[in-house]
Amino acid sequence: MIKAYANVAVIAAALVSGCQSEEPEPAPLADGIIYCSEGNPDTFNPQLITSGTTVDATAAQLYDRLIDYDAKQQKFVPALAKRWETLDNGTRYRFYLREGVQFHKTDYFEPTRELTAEDVQFSFNRWLDETSLYHHVGGSYPFFSATGLDQLINKVVKIDEMTVDIVLNNADSSFLANLATDFAIVLSAEYAQKLLVAERPEQIDSLPIGTGPYRFESYRKDILIRYSRHPDYWREGPGIKHLVYSITPNANKRMLKLVTGECDIIPYPLVSELKALNREQLMVTNEVSPNVSFWAFNTQKEPFDDPLVRQALSHAINREAIIQTIYYGNAELAQSILPPTSWAYDDRGIQYQYDPEKARRLLQEADHSSLDITIWAMPVQRVYNPNARRMAELMQSDLAQIGVSARIVSYEWNTFRRRLSRGEHDTVLIGWYADNADPDNFFRPLLSCAAVATGGNRANWCHTGFDQLLYSAIATTNPEERKALYRSAQHLLNQQQPLLPIAHSKRFQAQQKSISGVELPPYGGINFRLATKKPVQEQSQ
Amino acid sequence: MTRYLVGRLSVFIIAVFLLTVFSFSLNYLFPGDPITNMTGVRTFQNNYSLVMELRAGDENIAAQYLHYLRHLFAGDWGLSLSNSTPVFADGLQHFMASMELIILALLVAVIFGLPLGVFAATRFRQRSDKAVISLAMMGYSIPVFWLAQLLILLFAIKLGWFPITGQINPLYGVEPQTGSILIDVFLSQSEYKAEALQDALNHIVLPVLILAIMPMMLLLRLMRNATQEMLQKPFVKAARARGLSEWRVLVKHAIPNAVQSVLQQTTLLFSLLLTNSIVVESIFNWPGMGNWLIRSIFERDYPIIQAAVLMFAFVILLFNLLVELYHGWRFPIVRHEQNATD
Repeated sequence: MIKAYANVAVIAAALVSGCQSEEPEPAPLADGIIYCSEGNPDTFNPQLITSGTTVDATAAQLYDRLIDYDAKQQKFVPALAKRWETLDNGTRYRFYLREGVQFHKTDYFEPTRELTAEDVQFSFNRWLDETSLYHHVGGSYPFFSATGLDQLINKVVKIDEMTVDIVLNNADSSFLANLATDFAIVLSAEYAQKLLVAERPEQIDSLPIGTGPYRFESYRKDILIRYSRHPDYWREGPGIKHLVYSITPNANKRMLKLVTGECDIIPYPLVSELKALNREQLMVTNEVSPNVSFWAFNTQKEPFDDPLVRQALSHAINREAIIQTIYYGNAELAQSILPPTSWAYDDRGIQYQYDPEKARRLLQEADHSSLDITIWAMPVQRVYNPNARRMAELMQSDLAQIGVSARIVSYEWNTFRRRLSRGEHDTVLIGWYADNADPDNFFRPLLSCAAVATGGNRANWCHTGFDQLLYSAIATTNPEERKALYRSAQHLLNQQQPLLPIAHSKRFQAQQKSISGVELPPYGGINFRLATKKPVQEQSQ
Repeated sequence: MTRYLVGRLSVFIIAVFLLTVFSFSLNYLFPGDPITNMTGVRTFQNNYSLVMELRAGDENIAAQYLHYLRHLFAGDWGLSLSNSTPVFADGLQHFMASMELIILALLVAVIFGLPLGVFAATRFRQRSDKAVISLAMMGYSIPVFWLAQLLILLFAIKLGWFPITGQINPLYGVEPQTGSILIDVFLSQSEYKAEALQDALNHIVLPVLILAIMPMMLLLRLMRNATQEMLQKPFVKAARARGLSEWRVLVKHAIPNAVQSVLQQTTLLFSLLLTNSIVVESIFNWPGMGNWLIRSIFERDYPIIQAAVLMFAFVILLFNLLVELYHGWRFPIVRHEQNATD
């Protein structure tokens, strides 16, 4: 039936192309999308990595999670778990699974059953339980060890076919946020079992099976990844049949391919140049992503142990100019270390204004009429800071105005971070990119006393009152209470000023106007679940 | 002819032998374990000891070389270090993709280069000759990567006629079987073969054109000079004296003799094409040997570097041999010259 229809389409297309200059697109092109990704995925299982390229290529397309995070409503929504409840004072979470969720049917695996508690248990035990048969296949699980999730979860218990309990060692309100990330995906236990029998367990990460909106077709390194729509997807799926990742590492080439129509969507476009091209069929979208770049003061060194000095230096920096010069306006001025997209964000009463007069006065109050400092600038480009060295140069001249002379220091990236951890710096320009939607992710890894020991706390700032606030905030699950605690934390930060937040940069993508429904969620990778392509004819009319 | 054949073949075999010795020694020259460099199996993998045995890793170097040769001729070229795909099968696809470009470019160069050369020769030192020849000089001097940028800017960006990367729009779902896209389209099960073919042709135009320009200009100049030289020869004068038309003189006498000397240069042409194909493939993301080699160098994928070098060298040697044999067979004078110097 489909074939017959397609033949008619071919004949029609041939007839039309003969007498019309504006040909309609052949069917395969009209119901497929090409995404020009920036690199090869390392694997097809996001549990194994933290690289953004791999997450973009796999997580939201091939898999589903127990719960999802809706960034617009700022709350968790059901996914594979249709509902969940908290038991035992927040140390036990019970998930009720959705019925009728189908795994992908491909030429290398045919599922005989739908999603059950066994699959969830298998997927979690893969990274949690060192005795699990699959734990050593693929090796390490960086996201789960970095967030401490593998320490937090005690065990995963199957209550019945469709109910799973996750038992925690202690209550932690950031737990759900971590579950909603791209990394906490659900694999097929049946497929894993079949591969074990066939003695090819490593195939689970190269020929993936999931429940997501697309299933895997083929992968050619350096060339493409081919996905097709999962026909039995459990919720609203994509409006296209095929999704191709055309691997194009070169940023200029990506942009040209977008212009010639070889790409439908590209990540990380050269925004200023694309605007100059001014093609009307293209559009650029952006999203404030959960990152922050900041200037941290080494508070264990003289004279940065004095909050007055830190405030003085902060008031000397013209951050507006930095946003214009370094980010070309593609960033938001940071008022707090938390980005404005976070539910705990609160800028009431927080002001870091640019005021050289005040800065000079504060410096005199602190008995420092002149200062010699170093600014450490990252040698690499990061999402949150495209050019740290140039930023340091701008700050150098700002600081000179209040009589502070600054020297810029930079090393190779690994050496740079190693020396930072040893606390050799006066001040440093660096930043942070959040993995999940919980505000805790911006505080504990960056500014807690524990982070001083692990080297994550670039300000070497250990404030017992502040730590107290952070730990009370994760011990409760009441959002209002947490919000109040984080507001106090932000105010305390503002007074103490161990660091100066500079900018929250935006993440960009450029696309043909005919594409819609492609989401770039603030937390996590690109999502093609609702992607559709409008026919070209509609546009030209 | 037999003597000539044996002579040429033995030179070829010695060259191939030296080539394999070189590629075998690369395994030792690259950093890391030689068996890993040969097979792509890392020392910590379970099947390493098996591979070690198969490759005679604990015997002397001569035995290792013999085992290496055996695997080489059996088509077992090991696995890629970066994604564990078999190198030989992969290499064959890349080889076909490159050959597709190179052969088409050679055809374009011959079809346009030779007639233009003859045209210029017949109008020797006239204005049209000068125009053609300065055009040829220009075409020959422009670096390939620069020409590619210019043509991409004009044909792909400004006019939007041709796409700039890959072999075909991936949404047609044509899976590589041979590696040559035009053949693959014919082999594919797609219901949109006609459209797919058109799309593939659209993709191939720019790379072939850019690749063809330099050899075309070279051929043009060679052909012009050779034809011009022939037109001065006494036998041409004799032919004219017999009252043959200028056209017959050209087609029957001057051109065949000119082609002979030009043909000798085609081996040079072929190496030029092969080298330029690396640049063109990188620019157009063409999945050919050049692209393969460049990427493998970046990734330090030793089995692939080795395979690509081997393939490149082998293809050049083989083409040289074939041209020489054809030459010897077609133009007896070459055989005699060869024998005289013996």
